[in-house]
Amino acid sequence: MASEINSPLEVRGLSKKYPAFTLRDVSFRLAPGCITGFIGRNGAGKTTTINAMLSFVHPDSGEITFFGRPWAEHEREIKEKIGFVSTGMTYHTRKKLKAITAVTRAFYPAWDGKAYEKYMTAFGLDGEKTPAELSNGMKIKYALALALSHGAELLILDEPTSGLDPVSREELVEVFLRLKEEGKTVFFSTHITSDLEKCADRILFLQQGCLKADEPLNAFREAWRIAECAGEMPPALVRAACGTCRTRDGFTVLVRKENAEAFNARKASLEEIMVHLEKEADRT
Amino acid sequence: MKLLMKEWKLCMHPTGYLMPLMAGLVLVPGYPYGVCCFYVGLSIFFICLTAREDHDAGYTLMLPVSRQDAVRARILFCAGLETADLLLMGVFILIKNVIGSLPNPAGLDAGVALIGEGMILFAIFNLVFFPVYYQEISKPGKAFAFAATAMFLWIVLEIVGTYTVPFFRDILDQPDPMYMSDKLLFTLGGLALFLAGTARSIQLSAKKFEAADLSL
Repeated sequence: MASEINSPLEVRGLSKKYPAFTLRDVSFRLAPGCITGFIGRNGAGKTTTINAMLSFVHPDSGEITFFGRPWAEHEREIKEKIGFVSTGMTYHTRKKLKAITAVTRAFYPAWDGKAYEKYMTAFGLDGEKTPAELSNGMKIKYALALALSHGAELLILDEPTSGLDPVSREELVEVFLRLKEEGKTVFFSTHITSDLEKCADRILFLQQGCLKADEPLNAFREAWRIAECAGEMPPALVRAACGTCRTRDGFTVLVRKENAEAFNARKASLEEIMVHLEKEADRT
Repeated sequence: MKLLMKEWKLCMHPTGYLMPLMAGLVLVPGYPYGVCCFYVGLSIFFICLTAREDHDAGYTLMLPVSRQDAVRARILFCAGLETADLLLMGVFILIKNVIGSLPNPAGLDAGVALIGEGMILFAIFNLVFFPVYYQEISKPGKAFAFAATAMFLWIVLEIVGTYTVPFFRDILDQPDPMYMSDKLLFTLGGLALFLAGTARSIQLSAKKFEAADLSL
């Protein structure tokens, strides 16, 4: 019970209906000090889930608690303990970083100026620059520096590596791993699954508004295999298939590990699992 | 206070500094002086437009403040600009009275009553603009269209009133210091409307903003 109370974030039965999309009964809880990857294709509902978590949108039903406390009664104290970074830091892009920092720091009693300087130096950021002058990767790093300087224990990152080159993505993944070592909890939404392979402890897989998986990364990957097939697929493989993709030489087929032996299947990457399951969902 | 500072440091649009100076238009003979207040409304629209482009709502709502705090700060900050406009208007009216003033055929003369008229105009603007804006912060233009229309309707009524309504024509539109007690009473009434209208605007806007789903 005590560990449940201390969960940095717990979501229970979150639902939100839009005319063209419905988020259905999403439930999960984050383990402290872990990196949780939140995956799903564009439009699966990742950002809607995050917006609902942060009260930007009002869910139709569900309960969300941060550090065991509901948002409505503890909004200020929760906000002091979390940091939110979305795709590119697009806030006040023509103001100097030092001006944004000066305004931001005033709101946080626990602001740590030394930590801020440390992160600015470590990330190679110059306070005289504006966000408009920064690359997308540097914008994310600045947003992280702000969040970490006010002592955020939970970092919610919405597609932080989208649009970044592979080197910048690698740098950010290293940052996330360092933050994990410092005991921070990271909730990382992305559709670039290769980044998560390098750093995530746990995976939440959202598909068409429903949470399809909530498992440790290794267990999630272990549960699936990829069979490769040139030409026509044998009937047994068709029956076992949980998703099929065309390739230059034929097909790749996602099968459950327990059904894989007959097909000389190999281990599947996170991306392959997601893509094949999405293709199957599209087909059905 | 911190949020007011945020409004000033991060959200202030250059027109927020310039438009209150348009109070100097009271020095122009034969001009509908209520329009000076419209310019400040325009600068408030620009502040909200820039806030949208800068994703200010996303930034502000991740600070440890509530939606209600954010609404209150924005409206009070804008009310500060409106007050600056009215104070400058007072200064320019004094200057105009020193250098000599001709009757204004386009509405109220530049006198004490004009400040009361400005307060009524700002009360109308605040009551219309902010609740519509906070219903959908991605569309400040819609809110401004409604608020500007309401302001211009009142300005037209005021101009017509200076020809047809005895209280406007025979008392408020007479040169200062004639009927000063009536004009002061009118201006105090304007102040009461400005304060009450702004307070009500904060209430309505906060309620609308609380209920809104934001796409950030």
